[in-house]
Amino acid sequence: MTANTTPRTRTLTIIAQDPSVRVGGKILRAQVEVPAEELAPGPWGYRVHVVDYDSSTGSQYRPIKYPPIGTNKNGDGDPFFKATDANLLSDPNFHAQNVYAIVMRILARFEFALGRRVSWGFYGHQIKVAPHAFADANAFYSEDDQALMFGYFPGLTHMVFCCLSHDIVAHETSHALLDGLRTRFTDPSSPEQAAFHEGFADVVALLSVFALPGIVETIIDINAPGKNTSQIARKYTTADALRKSMLLGLAKEMGQELPTIRGDVLRRSVELAPSRKYIHDLEFMEPHRRGEIFVAAVMNSFVEVWAKRLEALGKADQLDRGRVVEEGAMIADYLLTMVIRALDYTPPVNLEFCDFLSAVLTSDREINPNDSRYHFRDILRKTFVSYGIDPAATGTEEEPGIWDAPKAGLNYDLVHFESMQRDRDEVFRFIWQNRGSEALDLYDDSYTRVLSLRPCLRVGPDGFALRETVVEYMQIVTVIAGELGRLKIKVPEGMAADQELMLYGGGTLIFDEYGRVKYHITNKVNHSERQEQRLKYLWEYGYYRDPSSFRNFANLHRKKRMAPFADSIRQEW
Amino acid sequence: MATMKPKSLTLRSYQVGFGDCFLLTFHYNGKTHDRHVLIDFGSTGQKKSMGENLMVRVAEDIKKETGGKLHAIVATHRHKDHISGFATNAKGTASGDIIASCNPDVVIQPWTEHPKAKPTDKQAPSTMTKTQSFVNSLRSMHEIAESVLIEADRRQKQKALGPVMHRELTFLGDDNLSNMSAVENLMNMGKKHFYVNYGTRSGLESVLPGVKIRVLGPPNMKQSEEITTQRSKDEDEFWQLQAMSNKFVIQSNPKVFPKAKIYSPTNGPGATRWFVQRVRALRGEQLLSIVRALDKVMNNTSIILLFEVGGKKLLFPGDAQIENWSYALSKPAVKRMLAGVDLYKVGHHGSRNATPRSLWDGFTKRSDKQTKNRLETFCSTMPGKHGKAVSKTEVPRKTLVDALKSLSNYHTTEELKGKSIRLDHTINFK
Repeated sequence: MTANTTPRTRTLTIIAQDPSVRVGGKILRAQVEVPAEELAPGPWGYRVHVVDYDSSTGSQYRPIKYPPIGTNKNGDGDPFFKATDANLLSDPNFHAQNVYAIVMRILARFEFALGRRVSWGFYGHQIKVAPHAFADANAFYSEDDQALMFGYFPGLTHMVFCCLSHDIVAHETSHALLDGLRTRFTDPSSPEQAAFHEGFADVVALLSVFALPGIVETIIDINAPGKNTSQIARKYTTADALRKSMLLGLAKEMGQELPTIRGDVLRRSVELAPSRKYIHDLEFMEPHRRGEIFVAAVMNSFVEVWAKRLEALGKADQLDRGRVVEEGAMIADYLLTMVIRALDYTPPVNLEFCDFLSAVLTSDREINPNDSRYHFRDILRKTFVSYGIDPAATGTEEEPGIWDAPKAGLNYDLVHFESMQRDRDEVFRFIWQNRGSEALDLYDDSYTRVLSLRPCLRVGPDGFALRETVVEYMQIVTVIAGELGRLKIKVPEGMAADQELMLYGGGTLIFDEYGRVKYHITNKVNHSERQEQRLKYLWEYGYYRDPSSFRNFANLHRKKRMAPFADSIRQEW
Repeated sequence: MATMKPKSLTLRSYQVGFGDCFLLTFHYNGKTHDRHVLIDFGSTGQKKSMGENLMVRVAEDIKKETGGKLHAIVATHRHKDHISGFATNAKGTASGDIIASCNPDVVIQPWTEHPKAKPTDKQAPSTMTKTQSFVNSLRSMHEIAESVLIEADRRQKQKALGPVMHRELTFLGDDNLSNMSAVENLMNMGKKHFYVNYGTRSGLESVLPGVKIRVLGPPNMKQSEEITTQRSKDEDEFWQLQAMSNKFVIQSNPKVFPKAKIYSPTNGPGATRWFVQRVRALRGEQLLSIVRALDKVMNNTSIILLFEVGGKKLLFPGDAQIENWSYALSKPAVKRMLAGVDLYKVGHHGSRNATPRSLWDGFTKRSDKQTKNRLETFCSTMPGKHGKAVSKTEVPRKTLVDALKSLSNYHTTEELKGKSIRLDHTINFK
């Protein structure tokens, strides 16, 4: 028997942020590791299929063949290892590689954080990616087409390709992955749920770019003087200085090529000073705008943790530049893991930011009980609160904001531990048998089903494994508006009594390694306050007139730019 | 003249198919003192039964009814269905030539048509004023419309576009073309030109003594900013980008990557064909949503005029949609003023978003009974041209028409039978 020498990863060249970020006049690149696989032309791998068809010109570009893994010593099977900048820009096959590698990298990041394979939000294993789908300043995830679409357009001096912007590719990939993990988050709900999709995708994009070697150095070099020394003055490492130089610096870099798609959104998020007022402000009812509050809360937490960490490095006036960079990239990476992990601890429907905050605090505490080194949880909670987002749960004295323990009346007598790890029907039996108010407290008069069952194995900072099983179930009640009073829900003004409505609710069950429920995280179908807000929003923003416009990222992205007046829908016939 | 007041008004609603053409004749003492104001003259589609040369026949009728003299022309906005009748031809026999021969004294257009508002081609976006930038965006929209039409035709030939999608794209694309001949004719006609926005003089004051005319829309850039909390430059830049992208694509045989190898059109790998079809279909939808959006922006440059005379209020809002209306309706005094409207020209051919509900609900002369002062409503429209009932976008919108019929004396060009081209209505003033 011989040892398995097949490499586990393949290294591929990508453009670190976008072609406008340059060092010494050259495009800043990164060599990133993606899971090794024998690629078919496309690249076409086990999770991603790049199809380079341009619908505006009607051209389909021929892909190149990739060398088998482990056979090419120079660049490890990377055809663009030695390519010039001009080659990178003018060869559609490099663009195809760029999207393939970034999508795979983000996917791998999600799988690492969650400790299991992560499916896309559609039936199928391979997401299609069209790097030059059309001539349009737009890019989006399309569930119906099982694809990520990237447009291109002539800029003032050169052609701008969305597929060459790391943050755009990461953002759209995050939509697709989030849709796979929480398929009901694209349901028409409160503006906050749609905002979360946008904000979360932005956070993943920003943090994954930050975690990339080279980016932090470059931004620091641009914004903090003295780049020729190995030191950086302490005054440039305060939270405020880092916010201005690093976050704003990156947002500006990202906005240079694509001001209308990304730049303004990221810049606005970063510049959003803490205030508890935004969350109630009508202006922030538009999902993209509301998403900026979420981005601001996470990214400001990042800066606070980083600055605090740098403070702990001693009192010298100058800090080691390499160390500052390393800490930043490391913190970005950990925070990215935290926010992805938190998804498992969110309710399956009608998400609000406050739910996410409790989710991130709880999931991190499970795997990393001792937070004394970086104070991630403490800082996240305080920063979210400063933006008007209070945790959904009270928590404990030591860990404020974490989800509560489940009710004590759960009965495990009639189910089997082994089946509960893999069989949805078995889990459903458990849920059904515990539907009473003393246990899971389900709403009686509704349709109930298990959406997903996911065993996972995560590794904590102490090296020990954390085994959990995550189950989502949902409940659906079909009513007419006239019946809402029965659920103590007020009918939105102007809605006819015979208007048919669907109310969604549900819960996430986290089972521990012994098959016992650790957490039961719910958004109940009869939560009158939330259902009332949701119905009011959907009614006022025209969902019941034109439902299709609510479940489409292409429309959502265009709508953002065509920002409608808040009351236009109400004025229509 | 200063003490003159009109005694009555004849409103002629012309049959132009899908479009607007209203001739207002204010009758002062004696026929020689009639004053004629033409509000819009355009069409994007006519019933076959109307026969050839409808627009020329309408123009000739206008000439006849006015005795060859128009006092004013109001071109509410640049859409084809409002201005195509002003187009001329080399022989001087087109409908626009006939209108020009009526020597209008005054031509009134929205502020967005002001020649000085147009930026030069060389002007960099960074040095543009907001006004110039917006006007430039409008120009970009014409370019988009033009390129969408070309792409739609090309795609239909490649069988990448279905007939329904092609028809809708062609309709909207066509309506949003720049209509240069009509625009130039409007520019050359008239002794005086007025480019108006909310609150400015209408320019009709000297033509219509004894009539108070208020301009209620469109708001200019500064005014629209007052009512929007976050109106970024995104929208303008968006149109510039769209125009550039599409202009690029329509260039003959465009090549984004000149050296790249491509598959022949029918020879792509089997595993990619389903997806290629999906991207093609998506492009069709995308073009449609772009032209729909630009159609709306253009509608919102419409002039809204309120005539007050002899105790009556007549409201002509062109195709103004809710966004245009929002500024005027944000003013409580204007809302109060509008409450007493006696005659309402139904906005945008009866579409769902051009008669704001708050405007309609405020009209106090609505009634479900045939009262003496019941609201009169006039709609120039043609069903089956625009939108679909299934998506609740049909024009005219059924729910609106139902309301108009039940609460006002509703007049529509759809009533015109055979080849008759005109619906006349007289209003007497105190």
